[in-house]
Amino acid sequence: MPAQSTELLQGTLDLLILKTLALAPMHGWGIAQRIQQVSRELLQVGQGSLYPALHRLEAKHWIRSEWGPSENNRRAKFYSLTRLGRKQLESELENWKRISGAIALVLQGS
Amino acid sequence: MALRLGDVWRRLCIRFFGASRVEVDEELSYHITRETEFRVAAGMNEEEARRQALIAFGGVEKAREQCHEWRIAVRLEALGRDIRYALRGLRRVPAFAVPAILTFAVGIGATTAVFSVVDRILFRSLPYHDAGRLVSIGIVAPIEPQEFMLGYSYYEWQDHQTPFETMTSWTGSSNCDLTEENAIRLTCASVEANFLPALGVGPLLGRNFTSEEDRPNAPKVAMISYHLWRSRFGNDPSVVGKTVSLDGTQVRVIGVLNKDFELPTLDNADVLVPEAIDRASQQGPNPGRVRWAFARLKPGVTIDQAAAAMQPLFQQMLMTVPPQFRKEVHLRLRSLRDRHVHDAKLAAWILFAAVMLVLMIACANVGGLLLARSANRQREIAIRSALGASKVRLVRQIATESLVVVLMGSLVGCLMAAILLRIFQAFTPQGIPYLERAHVDPRIVGFAVAASLVCGILFGWAPALPKPDMETLAGRSSIGTPHGRIRQLLVVAQIAVSLVLLAGASLLLRSFWNLQKQPLGMGTRGLVTASISLGELHYSKPEQQMAFFQLLETRLRKLPGVDAVVISDSLPPGGWHHDHIFAALRVEGKPPLAEGTGGTVAWRWVTPDYFRALSIPILRGRGFSEADRNSADHFMILSQSLAGYIFQNENPTGRHVQPGLEGPWYTVVGVAADVKNGGLMGGDEPEYYRLRRNYPEDWGRDASVTVATPIALGAMEHWMRSEIAVIDSTIAAVSQTMGERVSKLADRPRFEAALLGLFAMIGILLAAIGIYGVIAFLVAQRTPEIGVRMAMGATKMDILELMGMQGLRMIAAGTLIGLTIAVAASRSLSTLLFGVRPDDPLSFASVCLLLAFVAGVATWIPASRAMKVDPSEALRHD
Repeated sequence: MPAQSTELLQGTLDLLILKTLALAPMHGWGIAQRIQQVSRELLQVGQGSLYPALHRLEAKHWIRSEWGPSENNRRAKFYSLTRLGRKQLESELENWKRISGAIALVLQGS
Repeated sequence: MALRLGDVWRRLCIRFFGASRVEVDEELSYHITRETEFRVAAGMNEEEARRQALIAFGGVEKAREQCHEWRIAVRLEALGRDIRYALRGLRRVPAFAVPAILTFAVGIGATTAVFSVVDRILFRSLPYHDAGRLVSIGIVAPIEPQEFMLGYSYYEWQDHQTPFETMTSWTGSSNCDLTEENAIRLTCASVEANFLPALGVGPLLGRNFTSEEDRPNAPKVAMISYHLWRSRFGNDPSVVGKTVSLDGTQVRVIGVLNKDFELPTLDNADVLVPEAIDRASQQGPNPGRVRWAFARLKPGVTIDQAAAAMQPLFQQMLMTVPPQFRKEVHLRLRSLRDRHVHDAKLAAWILFAAVMLVLMIACANVGGLLLARSANRQREIAIRSALGASKVRLVRQIATESLVVVLMGSLVGCLMAAILLRIFQAFTPQGIPYLERAHVDPRIVGFAVAASLVCGILFGWAPALPKPDMETLAGRSSIGTPHGRIRQLLVVAQIAVSLVLLAGASLLLRSFWNLQKQPLGMGTRGLVTASISLGELHYSKPEQQMAFFQLLETRLRKLPGVDAVVISDSLPPGGWHHDHIFAALRVEGKPPLAEGTGGTVAWRWVTPDYFRALSIPILRGRGFSEADRNSADHFMILSQSLAGYIFQNENPTGRHVQPGLEGPWYTVVGVAADVKNGGLMGGDEPEYYRLRRNYPEDWGRDASVTVATPIALGAMEHWMRSEIAVIDSTIAAVSQTMGERVSKLADRPRFEAALLGLFAMIGILLAAIGIYGVIAFLVAQRTPEIGVRMAMGATKMDILELMGMQGLRMIAAGTLIGLTIAVAASRSLSTLLFGVRPDDPLSFASVCLLLAFVAGVATWIPASRAMKVDPSEALRHD
């Protein structure tokens, strides 16, 4: 366990989930693990907010869900990206890059 | 496969309702388990791992609730937004919303109400088992419009028929009295023992008749109707097995009929009794009892096949008919429903067609309004689209608006249906079966709403589909032109359909007018009638019957203001009267009168005042005198037409006639003018009158008492009733003025004319709204153009012509098409018409003029607005 973990910026959880699912369909726990791993334990997904986020994204038809056997052969709910979700991911990535670039510029400039 | 289906179903559920709670729970518990395992693998003990996992998760319950709420919230919010937006949008354009909702309401209301009525007549399920296989069978002859059977031939048919599973019959109903304390008048129907089983219905309580009980001299038994059971016996099940007194005879009640039981002829019956006819007595020279026969087809046998199979038996029966009548007797086999509907069928179908036309006009109207609306809001949509609204979102929003309009219209429409149905029932004519029991049927409301929805979708959604372009945004493109053409076509169709409706209505109205105005051959003013039926208990003998009526006659004569008192057994111009075939008249010194039946002849028992009271002139000879009543001779008066048939130019007075080919000879004393006697529409029969003398044999239990008076009829009616009550307070007399009686005969045509007239009015109103809308829209759209034209020197008349021509073209096209259809369609009305041809040029011309006038006004109003366009204003318009 890392001593400090960074709180997620408002609205970025959706982006992270979409990005993670873009690689492969995954269940909730897997998504949380993956984000944690890839961010080298820096980003801690508040799991209590992960599931509502997943359901919210599903309601927006960005992701879809399906029950299937997990790695250890138990029934788990797998999420995958829809076509709409892929588009959304692209536009959000674009957005993110622009904003983070802009913030970086501001921070460097001062 | 099953798994797949399950999956599809689950997805559908999720799509509409969100994931189920169970699923969310399972998902979350899976997460906790994995997290626990993960920590155990890292070396924690199981319990601690689980605790840590739960802590890390942070509030399982909260997450669970949030998962759930999210889905519902997203949907509700979107729906709420759409509805709010739709309502706000509709409020802003009352010129669209109000006519659209009203049109829907009228369309749905009228359709539902009429459909509910027609459904009872044409499509309701009959209360018998497998009613589709039940047929009515018998012979048709000039004396009776419905098929019937006679005496022994029925048994022959029943024994030797092949196409039916069973055959059954009943021999008609008669008045009977429940002769107990609080005696009441009932209707008893005599049926065969197998009557109920053949119809496939059982009793509610008790049992059916046995064949032993259907024999002469068997112990008397009866089944009572549900209504009688409730009103008289208070739903007491112990009535089965009890003995009651019917017409003074002890009868045991063996069963109670179902609530929805009805005789297959739709006659009313309170009590069913076995007919108990001795079969042997029906054999012989006499024709025997008249009965109405019904049969159940064997499975797979059609009506035509059955009719063919019955032909040999029919031919055999025909041999027993006197040869001169054979040509006029035919076999008839038809479904029970056809027999029920009989002459209401045409009226019902016409009603049905009319309402479908109204629904069509309504749909076209709403379609036109929606098209105009969508053309008007192209810009708004373009702006919203440019601001980033997705296409799905736009379509959904327009759909919501259409739905809101349809739903509000349906709501008002249901109310209207209920009101209309009340109105129909308020003037229910005789002979349209079951109208009084019709109710607004949810199935039918559903149908009408669905039909409106389809047209709402067709015209409301379609224009939203192509994505608006930048041209639209600028507001300079010529949008609406293709829509405009569809709208113009819709208006042409509306005008055409309205014309068809109007033409039908005007024909029926003229026919009704002719009916009301036709000479009846009798006076109807200053006459009050009361029909009286004497009870079996105290008036079973003709002496008692004569005594009652003579006493009543004497008492009525003493009343102030009474000019004449008549006691006859029936009254013109319609309703029941005696009749027999013309050939059954034997005239002294003449050969038999006719080769065949010669048609039918009507006759009545009357007292001497009859001709004076009803203002029927005596053309030759004299009327009956008071002295004739005490004579041992019999006297008759012929109608002018009958005298002409029998005696041509000879003088009939003093000649002798024997009606019915047996019994006494009658002396003809005079000839009276013809009076209508076949109802208002029916053909008239030649008629004769027998004098009711002071001999019991001339009297019966039933009579019509008529009083001629110059004083107020209401008061006289009251006095008559009290005079009747003074003699015997248990007698129920039905009294009315002669005017009411005659007017009631016109109920049916009045009903038909009024209904079709109502629909035609609705149609023309809707068509006017439609044409007004189109022209107003065109004017609004072309205002800048009009401005340019005026600036270039066009006069006001030029502008009026420009806009008016559009309307005139639509009116001309619609009228022409409508006229063609109307001329072709009006032929179907011909049997409902009286004294007017179905292609009556006057009706058609006046209808065209009316429609052209209304449509012209609807064009003029917006077109004249175009005339007042101020060029400088118009040119500044965006």
